[in-house]
Amino acid sequence: MKSRMAVVGVGQTSYKRAHTELSSADMIWEAAEKALDDAGMDISAVDAIVMGVAPDALAGENGVEKTAIFGAGKPYVRVNTGGVTGSSAAFAGASYVGSGRAKVSLVISLERMGQATTSQQVFNTIFDPVYEKDFPLTTITMAALRASMLMRVYGYSERDWAEIASRNYRNALKNPLAHIHKDLSPEDILASPLLAWPIHRFEACPMSEGACALVIAGESSVGDRVPAWLQGMASTSDAYAMGDRFHRPEGTLVDLLSLRRSAERAYADAGITDARKDIDVVELYSPFSSAEAMAYPALGFCAPEHGPRFVQEQFTDLSLPSFNPSGGPQAANPVSATAMVRIAEAALQVRGMAGERQVPGVRRAVATGQGGATQFSTVCVLGIERPD
Amino acid sequence: MTDTTELITIPGNWNFDYTYFAGEAASRFFAALKDSQQIMGARCPSCQRVLVPARSFCDACFKRTADWVPVGPEGTLETFTIITAAFPGLPKPPIVMAYVTLDGADTALVNMVNGLDLSDIGAAAAQLQRQPRVRAKFIDEPQGRITDLSFVLI
Repeated sequence: MKSRMAVVGVGQTSYKRAHTELSSADMIWEAAEKALDDAGMDISAVDAIVMGVAPDALAGENGVEKTAIFGAGKPYVRVNTGGVTGSSAAFAGASYVGSGRAKVSLVISLERMGQATTSQQVFNTIFDPVYEKDFPLTTITMAALRASMLMRVYGYSERDWAEIASRNYRNALKNPLAHIHKDLSPEDILASPLLAWPIHRFEACPMSEGACALVIAGESSVGDRVPAWLQGMASTSDAYAMGDRFHRPEGTLVDLLSLRRSAERAYADAGITDARKDIDVVELYSPFSSAEAMAYPALGFCAPEHGPRFVQEQFTDLSLPSFNPSGGPQAANPVSATAMVRIAEAALQVRGMAGERQVPGVRRAVATGQGGATQFSTVCVLGIERPD
Repeated sequence: MTDTTELITIPGNWNFDYTYFAGEAASRFFAALKDSQQIMGARCPSCQRVLVPARSFCDACFKRTADWVPVGPEGTLETFTIITAAFPGLPKPPIVMAYVTLDGADTALVNMVNGLDLSDIGAAAAQLQRQPRVRAKFIDEPQGRITDLSFVLI
């Protein structure tokens, strides 16, 4: 990282199926107000605002964020990179600070999908209208196509998917902001209806609404605030077509090349040489268990062929990082905000402010983001130590 | 706001019609489906990959594609899902969707797989996990759309 900056404020609404008591602008306002309160700042201290909202059709409002402009007169950008929107917005906000064009940026992401009666029909419209939209491609089937390939290539089982999901739900019991508070065992997940083989209903992320905001401050503006220093940030794209990724030597459809490359660059900036030892908490963008499994090798925790073994290891080897102490996206998936929530939760862990879900002694946390069919991935490293 | 304020909801609906412009490469690809039931790939002059379905450029090399070559009609199933739950606006389950690498192609094509016995989902999944060989089967009156074909097991 060329310039030093930190997350000094985090604000989140709760996440749930619909915030029926809040307008879209109210949700943005609540998250922004909480983040500024946490940072002990007024809106006048903010030099730039970045907003993240993914497909407008999920809310049924074009530019759903536009009614919440505050601090008019400041630079303002809206970002949409699908599922990775939230972290893309945070990275854009960090770029304002890193480039010296802002001392402080406020980044916010909003998901208003509670206004939609169904999401999968909307998600079908994110696919290519020429070659793909006539098929039942959705976020669920996109995940299922990869989950079945992971089972064939690396030997994962339906049981592995259920165990990962169960761990996430049980972690979420300690997170009052999570959408789903259910003590679901692996057996409960396997017994839930099959949506698209091999994915069962309780393995799939919920439709959640909510907003998340971060205050990102350059070193000179950190003062006596509690910082989560941004030690490494990297964002990488990949080919659009999933079909193009089966036969390339550098990584197949289930090898998450974009996440691996982001991790390599962000770790290099942060000075991480051994992911298993140098990281205490990982907040993963994993709306499905298969997304979590694909992230293990991409983030350097194991060789791809040892993924199924790592599912068990991370339950039993206490020296390994804690995965998704918040419960992750399987317990709350406000699509546009989800990738920012990962950074927010990682920042709370580093700052020792994660309440009942706090992992003791966190020195460094990693947050990931993924969008499209992992066409875009981000890795963000936050820590207690100020970068050199 | 007082505790007695009734929260208002307002009904809404998005239902717009669009015309999607496929571009020259896809138009040529679709014409071959309609006129000769042939599946065409476009070769990247740099990496030499045959991209299927055909596109005007290779996004890995930032090169325009040049040669067009027929591929298939047989190929190998790469991965699949069996959709078992009904979603509004999507086809009625159970249905199978898969990526297939057609013979001569370097990329996989997504389409439906028809004609499978889906009475036992687990058994059907196990069969598809063995990466069966498949053949593209065309509808009786091709329209010049990607839905002119689907896959059947050989």
